[in-house]
Amino acid sequence: MTIGAALPLLLLATSLIPAVATFFIPERSHRRRTVLNVTAAVVKVVLVAALVAGVLYYGLEFEWRAAFLPGIDLVLRADPIPLLFVFLSALLWLTTTVYAVGYLAEDGHQSRFFGFFGLCVTATVGIALAGNLVTFLVFYELLTVTTYPLVVHDGTAKARAGGRAYLLYTLTGGALLLLGTVWLHALTGPLEFGQTEVVEALAVQHRTTLTIVFVILIVALGFKAALVPLHGWLPQAMVAPAPVSALLHAVAVVKAGAYGIVRVVHDLYGLPLAQDLGVVMPLTIVAAVTIVYGSTRALIQDDLKRRLAYSTVSQLSYIVLGISVVSLSSTTGGLVHLVHQGIMKVTLFYCAGNLGKRGVHRVSEMDGIGRRMPVTMLAFTVAAVGMVGIPPTAGFVTKWYLGLGAAEAGQPWIIGVLALSSALNAAYFLPPVARAWLRPAPGGRSGPAESALAGEPGGWLWLPPVATAVSVLGLGILAGAPLSPLTWAAFIADELMAS
Amino acid sequence: MNALAWLAPVALPVTGALLLPVVGPARRWLLLLAPLPALLLGVFGAPGRPPQLNWLLLEATVDLVVGSRPLLVMTAFVWMVAGASARRIGDDRPAFASLMLLTYAGNVGLLLAADVVTFYVMFAWMTFAAYGLVVHHRTESTRRAGRVYVVLAVLGEVALLAGLLLAATHAGTTDLPEVAGSLSTAPGRSLIIGLLIGGLGVKVGLVPLHVWLPLAHPAAPVAASAVLSGTMIKAGLVGWLRILPLGDVALPGWGATLIGLGLVGAVLGVVAGTLQSDPKVLLAYSSVSQMGLITTAVGLGLVLPDHATAAVLAAVTYAVHHGIAKASLFLAVGVHKAGTRGWSHRALFAGMGLAALALAGAPLTTGWLAKQMLKGVADALPGGGRALTLALSLAAAGTTVLMIRLLWLVREPSGARADARSDARSDARSDARGVIAPWAFIAVAVAVGGWLLPLSIPDAPPLVPITTAGVWDGLWPVLLGLGPGAAWLRYRPERRLARSSPRPAIPAGDLLLIVERLAPAVRVPARWLLHRFDALARRVRTFQDVGRVTVRPGAMIDHLEDRLTRWRTAGALYVLIGVAVTVALALGTA
Repeated sequence: MTIGAALPLLLLATSLIPAVATFFIPERSHRRRTVLNVTAAVVKVVLVAALVAGVLYYGLEFEWRAAFLPGIDLVLRADPIPLLFVFLSALLWLTTTVYAVGYLAEDGHQSRFFGFFGLCVTATVGIALAGNLVTFLVFYELLTVTTYPLVVHDGTAKARAGGRAYLLYTLTGGALLLLGTVWLHALTGPLEFGQTEVVEALAVQHRTTLTIVFVILIVALGFKAALVPLHGWLPQAMVAPAPVSALLHAVAVVKAGAYGIVRVVHDLYGLPLAQDLGVVMPLTIVAAVTIVYGSTRALIQDDLKRRLAYSTVSQLSYIVLGISVVSLSSTTGGLVHLVHQGIMKVTLFYCAGNLGKRGVHRVSEMDGIGRRMPVTMLAFTVAAVGMVGIPPTAGFVTKWYLGLGAAEAGQPWIIGVLALSSALNAAYFLPPVARAWLRPAPGGRSGPAESALAGEPGGWLWLPPVATAVSVLGLGILAGAPLSPLTWAAFIADELMAS
Repeated sequence: MNALAWLAPVALPVTGALLLPVVGPARRWLLLLAPLPALLLGVFGAPGRPPQLNWLLLEATVDLVVGSRPLLVMTAFVWMVAGASARRIGDDRPAFASLMLLTYAGNVGLLLAADVVTFYVMFAWMTFAAYGLVVHHRTESTRRAGRVYVVLAVLGEVALLAGLLLAATHAGTTDLPEVAGSLSTAPGRSLIIGLLIGGLGVKVGLVPLHVWLPLAHPAAPVAASAVLSGTMIKAGLVGWLRILPLGDVALPGWGATLIGLGLVGAVLGVVAGTLQSDPKVLLAYSSVSQMGLITTAVGLGLVLPDHATAAVLAAVTYAVHHGIAKASLFLAVGVHKAGTRGWSHRALFAGMGLAALALAGAPLTTGWLAKQMLKGVADALPGGGRALTLALSLAAAGTTVLMIRLLWLVREPSGARADARSDARSDARSDARGVIAPWAFIAVAVAVGGWLLPLSIPDAPPLVPITTAGVWDGLWPVLLGLGPGAAWLRYRPERRLARSSPRPAIPAGDLLLIVERLAPAVRVPARWLLHRFDALARRVRTFQDVGRVTVRPGAMIDHLEDRLTRWRTAGALYVLIGVAVTVALALGTA
């Protein structure tokens, strides 16, 4: 096996093997479990860095394939778009692992948790590197199943209800995805991502069928991507512990749906064909509706995590909006938001977790909390400002490119949607920030803490949100730097639009 | 080295803000030193071609155009003085000093920005960092001021961003001069210009977007008020001057709108300001009034493309003059509030008198220079612009009345009163020592600053000649204003008004009060609708309920769940599957 084939497999193995091993670590061996999982996460980041350097600087090809079904291989391939997603999930897996170690320090069932957590990441890497729809489907289903035990981790009735909703939605999505995949392959025969000419060649003969299959695939993926009205599971699944929410909202699950839509539109059908079939405009409209709907619902949620969940519904559709509008800047904005949304939202969920540890679950309970937990609230503020799209954060970079792209494509109404969404985001993200910093704390506990970290929950829980919040600023300020996600997304968009 | 000269004006304050918590006693110098690079850049000019900063933001570019240079010098100078006066505040409150430094970085950055993205980033950065300055005192009234500030700021940013996006798309570049140059041929030009004028107008205090200003400027600590009213209020003007198609095309509609709104602002500021009893609110209204006159200059530039350069110069001169004079007055009010007695009060009063004369445009002051330049442009209007020139003179008379009212409010030494007040007062007293020296410095600048201005513009037109007619033109409005001013002092009509109601006849925020009164009529039904919507959406979890009714998966899944959550079962299952797949694949590849 060559190194080119080994690296993708190795990337899977770095989370699969530790995950399986974790199941057999006794519950009390905290240190062994922590060392194993954190080491694995670090190794994965290093490997991903090697992969990125190999593809971008040395022009190496990384591909592993094995026969799976007659005529259809399991393929893992490191194309530019997958790199973006792999990079994001590897990095956030590391921070979330560190966070989860601290967050769950006093909980039971940790071996179970970290085991499934690792399996989730394995599935995510598989989804990211999938070289064809079948491989994608396999890992996509694997992700659904391995996430479920995490959602119901607490074992309460509410957690189970959330888990039930999650399974119901995502399994239905999975079934539809299977249907779409089979139908498409029945038409095309063996098909890999990037072979848009194969599908295009069928367009003359099977126009209607292709349209139907496209719709099925998008609806299937829309369940995980939480497109309205398929988003119902997301706000219910917020009962899960904070690290799981981070996983659902930023690292893996919803991202897998959005990423799938990116691949179907760009690597399976190709934007020209999709446009020709007349399915792009409806997708744009669905995304626009989702953006406004999610923000409107978020506006009146008092439960902090619920508010964040509806914000995810809205923000995720920025990605869909970006890739469904036909212009270079839009595609760039959509792709880069894949990374930006993840980092901003993961920060917010870490912070919500930290606040929860201190008994603050609702926005109305956040009065004066900035004095007690300045580090957490600083990180929260940066991420919230990023969500609104205020410079110099990552969120602004996305908004600028999406807006520019909308104008380039001659669809200035999208700028109106973005403007409305920014205003709504400001309306539901800035009040909690203002409360936390400006209102006096209830019960007269308004005096500043003795040290910056005195009010923070223990277990280094402040570290992951600080790291990601700094990234939110860094991604905005250094957006033009080489190797920044923006440069990368622009490079990919350039290739996609050129072909 | 070159890049450093361009970056330091922004990088130094940002670094300072980040390092503030750890630098210890040295931090008192940070606020004073941070504006130095910008001051040097402004005074000595740029060393060589501006660098390309491809890695920064979205490929940031910088430049120093003719109009921005005097504003850069003024901005750096005012911030330096305000920083010096804030040092004592900064000593015990690092958060405030941090916010001052961050706000300053945005303020100076937007003057150097040469592309629309960098401009917008710096503009928004300044706006939102300044929110922290406005709400610094954390009382109910500052929170209200902060709320109004942030709502209008967000709306302004959104409009500005939309306008810039549309303009940049049409230009096919983000380069500021090119975007401005192609704006006159853009489709939907009116929409774009409307968005830009409105979005930037929030910052300028363009009527009716000015309502945040009389609340927010006085709410902040004195040092912050000085920069809010002195330099930050000019950010919107800088935007207008750099992006509107001044000189490219005649836009009589927009020009007339700006002239009209500017004059309304000039009058409104005087009338509402005179009725105030808090000198800081009065000064904020004076800013609305003065910015109205500057808006008139921009409007003239839009109406008369041939005279656009002169209009821009008039606006810039006016902005520099107003920036220094207004900052000086705010700092002086701060000194007064903190406590003055004896000679220090007389010195303060004399200095304030000088700044007040400058604002009213008394002959040979910087205000006179600015007003003469402005009237020079107005003369080019068809028909000689008689009406406009007269209106400008009457505005100056109004300013005279306003300034007399200000001086009346601070006529008595406050030292005696100071002791009787609460702790907050003694806090302020310790500030006074930090404030008085910088204030004196800026008071001198009021006297000479504006006259140095043309030196910084390489190919500036010759100074306005000092003629008898010109002197008289500046003098008579002041004399005219003295009459009503004296009459006011004699009869004090606001007392009679105050007897019927404890609040000023026009409370700070004027039009805002109407909006606030009407707000519940909108907010209550809107909230009700949102809640109804939410309740409805919660009930109709269509998909899930359909699923539950038809296949009743609940029991099934609960059962499955019990099995799955036994992790040993699941773990073992995965190992088995993993092994099976690996074996199968190994066979397959072989």
